[in-house]
Amino acid sequence: MDLFLQTIMNGVLIGGILICLTIGFQLTFGVLHVIDFAVGGWAMLGGYAAYWLVALAGIDPFISIFLVFVLFALIGRAVGPLIYHVRTSRYARPDLMALAFTFGLFLLMRGGALWLWSYNSRNVESVFSGEFLTVGPVTIPVLRLSAFLMALLISLGVFLLLYRTRFGMAVRAVAQNRDHAGLMGVDVKRVSAYVYGLYTGITASAGVLIATIYSVNPSVGVRYTLFAFFVAVLAGLGSVGGVLIAGLALGLMESVVSTYVGTRYSLLVVFGVLFLVLLIAPKGVLGRGI
Amino acid sequence: MAGKFSRRALLRGTVLGSGALVLGAPVVSAQGQEKVIRCGVVTSLSGDNRFGGNLTRRGYDLWAEEINKLGGIEIAGQRYPVKMFYGDAQSRPASGADAAVRLIIQDKVDVLFGPYTSGVTLAVQPISAKYQVPMISGSAESPNVWLSKPAFNFGMIPAVDLTSDKSIKVLAENLGSKAKSVAVVGVDEPFSKETAEGFRHGVQEAGLELKRFELFPANADLTPIISKLKDDNPDIVAVGGHESVFINFVNAAVSLDYRPKALIMHYGVTSAAFINQLGEKANGALGVSVWTAGLPYRDDLFGTASDYSELSFARWGTHPDYTEAGCSASGLVLQDAARRLGKAPPWDQKTRVELTKAIEETDIETFYGPVAFAKEGDHFHNNIKPVPVVVQIKDGKVVPVAPSSAAEGELQYPMPGAS
Repeated sequence: MDLFLQTIMNGVLIGGILICLTIGFQLTFGVLHVIDFAVGGWAMLGGYAAYWLVALAGIDPFISIFLVFVLFALIGRAVGPLIYHVRTSRYARPDLMALAFTFGLFLLMRGGALWLWSYNSRNVESVFSGEFLTVGPVTIPVLRLSAFLMALLISLGVFLLLYRTRFGMAVRAVAQNRDHAGLMGVDVKRVSAYVYGLYTGITASAGVLIATIYSVNPSVGVRYTLFAFFVAVLAGLGSVGGVLIAGLALGLMESVVSTYVGTRYSLLVVFGVLFLVLLIAPKGVLGRGI
Repeated sequence: MAGKFSRRALLRGTVLGSGALVLGAPVVSAQGQEKVIRCGVVTSLSGDNRFGGNLTRRGYDLWAEEINKLGGIEIAGQRYPVKMFYGDAQSRPASGADAAVRLIIQDKVDVLFGPYTSGVTLAVQPISAKYQVPMISGSAESPNVWLSKPAFNFGMIPAVDLTSDKSIKVLAENLGSKAKSVAVVGVDEPFSKETAEGFRHGVQEAGLELKRFELFPANADLTPIISKLKDDNPDIVAVGGHESVFINFVNAAVSLDYRPKALIMHYGVTSAAFINQLGEKANGALGVSVWTAGLPYRDDLFGTASDYSELSFARWGTHPDYTEAGCSASGLVLQDAARRLGKAPPWDQKTRVELTKAIEETDIETFYGPVAFAKEGDHFHNNIKPVPVVVQIKDGKVVPVAPSSAAEGELQYPMPGAS
């Protein structure tokens, strides 16, 4: 029973990490209609930023996360118009071109990180590293709990932004129909760039926490891109609400399968479920995906 | 396009090309006639494995520099300098094979020094066999490298299944009745899986209880597996993987309030990255090394293991690990085989085959330890002589703790903060 309770807790906390990673990805897909392969790259760079802020300035990741958010939001705001330009190009298959663009961006990030910081893994230390809470038989790592809370906060923040602000209304309008939104006076290009900035800020901040939980090296981005894509497909591409359910479901699935079936089968089961979802409910768990 | 390519240009190109060929021919021919031993190094000088690749290069280069200080390799009373050529495998097997072909065809190397990774080694093996150029590998630890019985390839480092197997036995002997049970986990990829298999075999041979054997994908979150280990509560946990997995494993274990009495991993534990990145959390972790500077080995070129370590430090600014040592010792194997062969370079194909036979008969003592290659079985042409040293991280330093002949400190058991 103790192991079962710990397994459920592990699953929920893994889910929190997945949600952190995916929520911005979904937002940007909804608005820009781009599957951003660079999602893992932004998370990886966020992790490195946290590492260097600890190593050079002694700033704890729980403080630097805000700096990282601002820094990467600005970078994303600058990159956003480029992606928008590619995505709305009049040349053939702009959707594929945008996909290739983000893939190239990801390769650039990975190659740059490898060139700058080599292949070695970096451990990001925080005051909460190694700290845990004990509730009955269950051990709760503080860092993972923070990631889970951050996932909830980001989700709440994104919902408030989308449904309680004029900017959110513009974002929803662009997501619904870009041309009509433009005709109604929404500056589609500007909104898209801000959304991309928001996404890179959120994802890099998630990368800070993830690097603190695990470690960071140039190759981790591939893994994060893969996981973000898993969650996004299960949630339904573009569905922000579905991410909460999909992230938790995948986290629990990974934990339960790893514990009771065998860790080596966990990805097999995850792939199997994704296959079934694409077959039976291609719009995701809430049926709101694109 | 056709208009731009005149008959005059064609004639001029042909004449110039022919001239270059005629003038260049003696140079190419002279390349093959030089009284030097031409050694080709195929390794990963760029790409993901460039760090390890450059370690191998350092090891090979240090040997070349030292032997050249003496005038070269002594053959039948005369010394022949060594000339090094490099081929970048770019951390990719196919590129490694291409680089080996270039070294053999263009640079006309007499012998190859092998790549850093097992994957590239496997790709280069057919090339060395095709052109009958012996290849001595100072790295490459996968047992798969030797399964196909490569006729021209020799490996200095015992395959990982041998080292992990022996290390568990060494540990069990040292701990006696204090440790009764072991759980073995590892990443489900060739190198780590073979390490884990080796650990499992060692557990069975040592008569310990195997509480769990489990492989996990490289991308897996480790909390479920740590929770299971915590539930099993074995005395020793053995992990097959690379340094990044070890870092994640230790982090995940600490975050779940779990520290086994002994945690043994493999190569990555001795790397500076593991110790630097984990800091205090690394203390107590056990690792395996086939060579340390404190071992009582010596030879005529490098002196003792400690002398070699200091020499390498003076040359490169860091103390060598066993990969660098194995690569430098590869040169000693070539030296010994060439001396016994007694034929002056350049070596033609027939002589290279004879050299290969001479390498096969190697039985020497070096600063790196004893070297002799298996002539049959699953570890064909692998140096199976060295006994692995179990090391422990103590206050951020790698301290050999077993076997007693190599120990420089006591094995700390249970490890600090054990649950």
